[in-house]
Amino acid sequence: MTIESDVRGTALEILLEIIQGNEYSHIAVRNALDKMQYLPKQERAFINRLVEGTLEYMLRIDYVLDQYSSVKVKKMKPVIRNILRCGVYQILFMDSVPDSAACNEAVKLAQKKGFYSLKGFVNGVLRTVAREKDHIVYPVREKNLSEYLSVWYSMPLWLVERWLGEYGPEITETMLKEFLADRPTTIRCQLYRMDPELTVSSLIKQGAKVEKAPYLPYAWYLSDYSHLAGLKSFVMGRFVVQDISSMLVTEAAAPKKGDYVIDLCAAPGGKSLHVADRMEGYGHVDARDLTDYKVELIQENIKRTGAINIAASKKDATVRDKESLEKADIVLADVPCSGLGVIGKKTDIKYRVDQDKIQELVVLQRQILHNAASYVKPGGTLIYSTCTITREENIENVEWFLENYPYKLESLDPYLCEELHSETTEKGYLQLLPGVHKTDGFFLARFRKK
Amino acid sequence: MAIRKIRIMGDRILTKKCRPVDEVTPKIKTLIKDMLDTMYDAYGVGLAAPQVGILKRIVVIDVGDRPWVLINPEITETSGSQTGDEGCLSLPGKSGTVTRPNVVTVKAYDENMEPFTLTGEGLLARAICHECEHLDGIMYVEHVEGELHDNQYDEQEEDE
Repeated sequence: MTIESDVRGTALEILLEIIQGNEYSHIAVRNALDKMQYLPKQERAFINRLVEGTLEYMLRIDYVLDQYSSVKVKKMKPVIRNILRCGVYQILFMDSVPDSAACNEAVKLAQKKGFYSLKGFVNGVLRTVAREKDHIVYPVREKNLSEYLSVWYSMPLWLVERWLGEYGPEITETMLKEFLADRPTTIRCQLYRMDPELTVSSLIKQGAKVEKAPYLPYAWYLSDYSHLAGLKSFVMGRFVVQDISSMLVTEAAAPKKGDYVIDLCAAPGGKSLHVADRMEGYGHVDARDLTDYKVELIQENIKRTGAINIAASKKDATVRDKESLEKADIVLADVPCSGLGVIGKKTDIKYRVDQDKIQELVVLQRQILHNAASYVKPGGTLIYSTCTITREENIENVEWFLENYPYKLESLDPYLCEELHSETTEKGYLQLLPGVHKTDGFFLARFRKK
Repeated sequence: MAIRKIRIMGDRILTKKCRPVDEVTPKIKTLIKDMLDTMYDAYGVGLAAPQVGILKRIVVIDVGDRPWVLINPEITETSGSQTGDEGCLSLPGKSGTVTRPNVVTVKAYDENMEPFTLTGEGLLARAICHECEHLDGIMYVEHVEGELHDNQYDEQEEDE
């Protein structure tokens, strides 16, 4: 038996789950595709692209819809709204789909979902967009910069305005562009008992494309593979998928063989494993996280890489662990954050964050820092990091920490390549900005306990 | 893996009644493996032995969670109803609307001739009915409500 696959219907279901049901986009897509193993690879790729693309460009798409629809996007029924969004995405961004197919399939889908009476509406709006697609009038950059940037790069207005204030127009636009750009997977080759050259040449033999990544000798870009688990070098634990920014944490921590290192929010374990690799089997990394699921993720990665000087355990970083007081040579506090530095990878973050959430996160971050401060031995090192680009969660937390705890900032320059040196790295912290630096948006600071 | 040739509607073999299997010989084991390979290769969710030219009561099904091998299947219970489109690897590119029970229980033997009972709902129930009918020479087109229609494949160009 066969079933006619309904890629657009599936994409719609997933979108509704993300937008109405508040599910994370990567999880919703994965769950849906896991249930449909029988779909050909091209159709899986189509569904993924349609969902992620529609989300990524949702604000621009809604702006276009509002130009050509008599009913405003906000007033539409959720099903119709999202059928139209997918339709516009196909018309504007998917050259492989003829406009007529995008319209016809959207009409069919509306009918199938029980909106027989709205067939004409869906058809009318999408045909108009298809006809007018080269003449759409967007907000004028010179007249209203923030509105233009918000619509064109599909970024909520409050974030655009915030970044314009903090970073100025040039850097803001660079970041917005970078968020929409495609980027290959970054990997870190394991060095202890592994020859990174062999890892790279074996990856090439397996058909993947490998290119040198900046800033670190053992970081590479990986592309042209269908899935990681299909790569022998991955299964054998020869490399770990990790952004360069996060690799810099271990560089900044500079662990020595034999150190005792606590990683407070470790899942999925990239930084912990990096430290363990750097200590070449000596010392111990205590990789902690909040939930069983997260601890399992770390354990999976430990098992795959075969590291022996690391263990994962379930511990809440906001609860003080008396047994760890003044025990650690190094503490890594890579705290939960608003994630605005990784919007390029996690499409839906930009629509979920708001000012209140950031304030709540700052409270949580300070709670974790408060405990972290007590686990470091006198003279030991604390690395604070986030994958975001807000002042409150980064530099303001650093200033608060210096005021309240017996720590001083210490220069990052000895641990970073020259390209990354700046006034702030000399002081002891680094704000990486997407597009400005060749990494995710990321923040790290190095403290020494007095 | 071996991909077998799928018989297309019009082939007389698809109208014949299949014989029960007495014993799972190595030859039958190979047949089952080939049927699964052939089904996955053609992006089907079910395949019956007569569709690859063998008149034996064997079907394989995988609607996405796991493969099922049913030898000498007998539907013992059905309930509810569902109406929806289905197609068949023996009639490529077409589909039609068919009403089937929504829940189906089937007794069968697995590839080691161990008896088992399977209850399927929704798509699995539909696939069980569709494949079991093949063993008695019945194609789904006999049940189609309205007309058969052509499947559209305009969405296959994307590759990432």
